[in-house]
Amino acid sequence: MADKIDIKNVAKLASIKLNQEEEDRLKNDLSMIIEHFDALSKMDLPDDKISIHPLGMSLNLAEDIASKSLTHKEALSNAPESKDGQFVVPPSLD
Amino acid sequence: MSNYKLPISKINQLFKNKELKPSELYAETFERAAITESIIHGHLELFQEENLKKALNSDKRYEKGKNLGTLDGIPIAIKDNINISGYATTCSSKMLSNYISPYDATVITRLKNEGALFTGKTNLDEFAMGSSTENSAFGPTKNPWDSSRVPGGSSGGSAAVVSAGSAIASLGSDTGGSIRQPASFCGVVGFKPTYGTVSRFGLVAFASSLDQIGPITNHVEDARLIFNSMKGHDPRDATSLIESKAKQPKLKNAKIGIIKELMEDGISEDAKKEVHKVAKLLEAEGHEIIEVSLPLTKMSISIYYLIAPAECSANLSRFDGVRYGNRVSGSTSSEMMELTRANGFGPEVKKRILLGTYALSAGYYDAYYGQALKARAMMKKEFTDIYEDVDYLISPTTPSDPFKFGEKSDNQLEMYMSDLCTIPANLVGMPAISIPTGLSSQGLPLSVQIMSPSNTDNTLLDFSESLESLVAFTEEPVINGVVS
Amino acid sequence: MNIIPTIGMETHVELKTNSKMFCRCHVLDTESPNESLCPTCLGLPGSLPVPNKKAIEFITLLALSTNCSITNDGMFHRKNYFYPDLPKNYQISQFDLPVGTEGSLEIVVDGEFGTVEIERVHMEEDTGKSTHIGSGRIDSATSTHLDFNRAGIPLVEVVTKPLIKSSKEAVAYIEELRQLVIDLDISEGKLEKGNLRFDANISVAHEGDKELGTKVEIKNMNSLKSLEKAIEYEISRQTKMLIAEENIIQETRHWDEKKEVTSSMRSKEGSADYRYFSDPDIPNMILSNDFVNEIKKIIPELPSQKRKMFIETGLSIEDANNLGKNKNWIGDLYRSITKITGDSKSSFNWVTGELQGQLRKLEIKDLPNWVTPKNLSEIILLVKEDKISFTSGKEILANLIEQEIVPEEFASENNLIQENNIEEISKIVEEVIENNSEVLERIANGEEKLIGFLVGQIIKISKGQVNPSVAKELLLKEISS
Ligand SMILES: [Mg+2]
Ligand SMILES: [Zn+2]
Repeated sequence: MADKIDIKNVAKLASIKLNQEEEDRLKNDLSMIIEHFDALSKMDLPDDKISIHPLGMSLNLAEDIASKSLTHKEALSNAPESKDGQFVVPPSLD
Repeated sequence: MSNYKLPISKINQLFKNKELKPSELYAETFERAAITESIIHGHLELFQEENLKKALNSDKRYEKGKNLGTLDGIPIAIKDNINISGYATTCSSKMLSNYISPYDATVITRLKNEGALFTGKTNLDEFAMGSSTENSAFGPTKNPWDSSRVPGGSSGGSAAVVSAGSAIASLGSDTGGSIRQPASFCGVVGFKPTYGTVSRFGLVAFASSLDQIGPITNHVEDARLIFNSMKGHDPRDATSLIESKAKQPKLKNAKIGIIKELMEDGISEDAKKEVHKVAKLLEAEGHEIIEVSLPLTKMSISIYYLIAPAECSANLSRFDGVRYGNRVSGSTSSEMMELTRANGFGPEVKKRILLGTYALSAGYYDAYYGQALKARAMMKKEFTDIYEDVDYLISPTTPSDPFKFGEKSDNQLEMYMSDLCTIPANLVGMPAISIPTGLSSQGLPLSVQIMSPSNTDNTLLDFSESLESLVAFTEEPVINGVVS
Repeated sequence: MNIIPTIGMETHVELKTNSKMFCRCHVLDTESPNESLCPTCLGLPGSLPVPNKKAIEFITLLALSTNCSITNDGMFHRKNYFYPDLPKNYQISQFDLPVGTEGSLEIVVDGEFGTVEIERVHMEEDTGKSTHIGSGRIDSATSTHLDFNRAGIPLVEVVTKPLIKSSKEAVAYIEELRQLVIDLDISEGKLEKGNLRFDANISVAHEGDKELGTKVEIKNMNSLKSLEKAIEYEISRQTKMLIAEENIIQETRHWDEKKEVTSSMRSKEGSADYRYFSDPDIPNMILSNDFVNEIKKIIPELPSQKRKMFIETGLSIEDANNLGKNKNWIGDLYRSITKITGDSKSSFNWVTGELQGQLRKLEIKDLPNWVTPKNLSEIILLVKEDKISFTSGKEILANLIEQEIVPEEFASENNLIQENNIEEISKIVEEVIENNSEVLERIANGEEKLIGFLVGQIIKISKGQVNPSVAKELLLKEISS
């Protein structure tokens, strides 16, 4: 199973640029960990309806009452680059 | 004797009786920080100047007999993954080294309302991923008991500063043991509440279904005090519990189960000995001790290292250099994001993001993440069933006493195993506390962990307080040649 | 062999709540960027989502109104992909447990009923808005500006089954869906404002083929016109390729409004792997039967029901459908009027044509309170009974909108009542025939158009009080005798 890790694809999905050394090391590290999962992935477990929450809590919805939060200035206060009140990034291609 | 190891209730009495002023205590903790921080490096940032004014305001409130709460004037350190408005929240990551939070976490709002003062932000493993605080981008925190050893993690800074006396108490976050394991390594009390009792709003998420904020303190009663001032429903956290009724475990003549699977291979003799010692003390008090088996506990590392990285892989996607964070420029936005994340995250964070991405990716979800969810549900059932029979469960907090720097950083699986005893409580959502009980053969702190059913937090704290007095652990570390 | 197109539609409907889907920021209609943000919708570290109750009520209304089954134990999922306008780099959406599944919507195409099968109706959040700076073309932009005001606004995504057969059906479906969300009062429903945004999945196959052809997704259609043109363009493009046995590739194509062609968008490397998993920040969403029943109680009259009712008054399917696209008071007015006049077609024409036209011309939003079904019916009946001409009817209506008048009184005071007395008209007809012998000769030689000229003469002499059709009838009778 572990040999199958397509580390380049995983890094692409995670949007992290890896250098060759990192690719090799991470592939090796991940393979080791994933090997450790073998026992778990082979277990025969009932296919119950999954509640992701440990306490099986149910959702409380919020009333639709709008309120003010961050000021425009606060919203942009950590922006690496901004112009005309907007966040600026290098061109994003569709 | 110094004041900073006193229980908070006692300090509050001194304040009320005008035998001590908040500003004096505040100065004392900073004097202590001046001695200890150069060795320990528990705080990433100290708020001394800014908070002195707040301490003086607290003085005035006590003078008028109008203190806000028991925590008024108490210096508390905050793990640097909890947002305080106007201060940096770095998560010990290069990614956020220049990030200033524009808002308060709910726990911060609640502590501010009680009049608590903040000493500063404490060091952690980057984004709370680690068990030694070695993964901090700003250098490790040292164990106050032996600076060649790790303080545990990820809340290593929060545990070390309480142990070292540069804060009266601290807040940590616990995803797989990140409060309890460092508390154990530093010889202080660490409490992880029931999932959903303390709001996560403003806590930078690692694994949302496991994360829980809790106190690290010198005394169990301090943990109770801080927990009760933070807990309660928060409309800004959809996973925060509204009401929590549960059958409470017994305080007298209780039945206590020693978890068989957490007393086997991989657990040091010292750690086992501590559990047996405590069991004897409890037995002498009239409690019944039995051995119980929870077979899925053996799977908990695997379950945890699928669920936590899967959740973290999405939780950490927002760190992309678009709206905040240290951007590395690129010719397109997607290149900018890839380079920003490559540069901003440390090796352990990258590893866990990739592991989680892999476990969720097409073709692998069912075998890994999906399987872990099922096993987690089964494990919860195992614990629920056991609690039909016992009031509390007991185990070591950590498999061993604190390890040395570098000792486990080359062996990732061994490092992950150091959370073996603490992970089940996160997977199941139940409360768990680590209480220091003695010293190892090397003179380093050891603790036991007590767990109880979900939503029985205050009963667990009551029971722990009586255990704390039975054990009467009073040892303290010597730092820079100065005993606290 | 025939080539058959298959179309599936994915439509995002922006809900009109006060606050956003997962935070309580105002939903603002503003040009100033980044004004309505909080830690949650800006994706700041430590922020958490709490779903909006109103939005859940709205989507349940829509799901019930499209005959969907409601998922009682639903969930929110994270859809993971990196894009700068997506603050968390995952979108909170729904995956295998959407609010509604397996529904249908009645549509009207070319005056006939049709049905569009709905696959799912799910809840999600909108992204921010990107503006590409530099040049007109996306791929030569020098930077991208981001406004996150829109980020987190609640969207309902409605996905149809791939069973739509033509561009006309697709357009009729969007028109129906738009009318539905307006009547449910859950969205502004304005296409030009992006309240409804749609993508089309199109494939072609030989008739009788068991499997659908390779599907191509078309984006960037901002109006019904462009939807129709884009689908037609794409069907013909794929049909040509199929005939030429060329390989149609699965891709996303962009509709170019100016050139009226679809073109391949830069495709992302590899196929999308969104790594959906249930959002651990949001517990399972239980929509109890009690909740669903409460929502059922507040469903208003739906477009299909209105249509049915209009048809029952005697209107054609097409007219009934068009009437339903108007504001509710127009339909109500029609209903009252047709009851009085007993003539559905002319009531429909007067209400949707003349009345609305005049109101629009005068820029009047609401009907003045003295304009009642009663006096409107009076005008319609005067025309219907040939007491006044259609033109006079319009004149009376214009006056009625401006001031309180009694139509019949107004008609007589202004000499608008038509002369229907045959004897009187015959006299005039005779007079005209006498004075126009030349014209009559030309008519006899085949210049039939000139009959109209003579009718005009008759009306002129009568000062407009002669009913033209009666005049013509008499004229023809005289000529032929
Ligand atoms: Mg969508
Ligand atoms: Zn917001």
